[in-house]
Amino acid sequence: MTALLLGALGLTLSLAVPGILAHARWPGRAPVAAIVLWQSITLAGILCALGVVLAGPQELIDEFGSGKPVGVAALIAALAVATLIIIRLLVSLAGVSYRSRTRRARHRMLVDLLDSAERHGALPAEVPDGLRVLDGPLPFAYCLPGRRPRVVLSGGALQVLDSSQVGAVIAHEQAHLRYRHDLVMESFTAFYRAVPRPLRSRAPLDAVHLLLEMAADDAARQRNGAEPLRSALSVLSDAVSPEVPDEIASGATVERHRRLDRLAGADTRSVALTVLASAMAAGLLVLPTVILVVPWLDRALTAWPL
Amino acid sequence: MALGDLERDVMRQLWDAGEPLTVRQVHERLSGERGLAYTTVMTVLDRLAKKGVVTQQKADRAYRYAPAQSREEMTAALMLDALGTAPDAAARDAALAHFVGRIDPSALEAAIEAAKRRP
Repeated sequence: MTALLLGALGLTLSLAVPGILAHARWPGRAPVAAIVLWQSITLAGILCALGVVLAGPQELIDEFGSGKPVGVAALIAALAVATLIIIRLLVSLAGVSYRSRTRRARHRMLVDLLDSAERHGALPAEVPDGLRVLDGPLPFAYCLPGRRPRVVLSGGALQVLDSSQVGAVIAHEQAHLRYRHDLVMESFTAFYRAVPRPLRSRAPLDAVHLLLEMAADDAARQRNGAEPLRSALSVLSDAVSPEVPDEIASGATVERHRRLDRLAGADTRSVALTVLASAMAAGLLVLPTVILVVPWLDRALTAWPL
Repeated sequence: MALGDLERDVMRQLWDAGEPLTVRQVHERLSGERGLAYTTVMTVLDRLAKKGVVTQQKADRAYRYAPAQSREEMTAALMLDALGTAPDAAARDAALAHFVGRIDPSALEAAIEAAKRRP
């Protein structure tokens, strides 16, 4: 029974819930708590899979009352599969984080060599330490996370943005760096790659990406107000991807519209939603453990053949 | 002066020169601005060569150094890398950077092409 319930919960968490949560509007009002909820859903899904693998064989044996050698074999097989799942996740995480780090290190080295910040006078008064400027007409801004982070602006961006807008963009990027949003994104990427292909879904990745942007928007808004960031965002994105009608709009366009809409009005963040989402996140991890796993463990430890 | 700044200044000299330079030539061009030891310049050029951004060629018993790519080429490659459209597929999953407003890679490629055509 435990295995069946854990399986049902796991499938719900990995197949049904992400679609619903990805389309919900409320996470925009509590982005940080929503990210925590996504993490909790993912982690709970993994724990369910492990629970099924470990509880399943033992419960089948209970049901059909097999002899001892079969029980031992089933237990060893279950432990092997569980170990395999954990190793696959860890290998994926190690791979993604290693590749990110080497690639960023090389990128940082090149950005530092190409930097032309001192030739651009239009930078705001409090320029962060890791700011770099790349020559080029295309207006863009990004950040390079890590222990020695960089905020990179193009010469084109400095041309089309005024100094308050530049300040807002820098504040947005620094929020990404300060709260290590890269680590959040890496963990979701690693999980995505570890899941077998037919079960994979991009929904958590894309949703978390948007929520991280919103969280950084909120940080920038708190420092410089919403207007400089909103106008900077619309200038930067109009310059590189022309407006398209909504019906053929890509994910990136939808994402941009949602962020612009959010910055256009008053701050809609809600304490109640934050508390609710955090409670859901905690509940997802704690309740199945208490209701299903602890009683099962109690029974299993007395019944297991080893 | 930080080593990073020195590396950047040496690269600038090489890019601006438009021809391969010897250590002595780079040293002369740089030391107009500050007192720099010849060996420091040599070390920096060696480091840059190890990183693959400078090529080393032997001519007339002296090593000459040239940038591996033009400034524009390197900038373009860097922008593609930042966007995650680098040809190395394995690296693509590793989220490199957070962009302000997602850039359409085709727009970037068009802009890079346009930049190349400019004299």
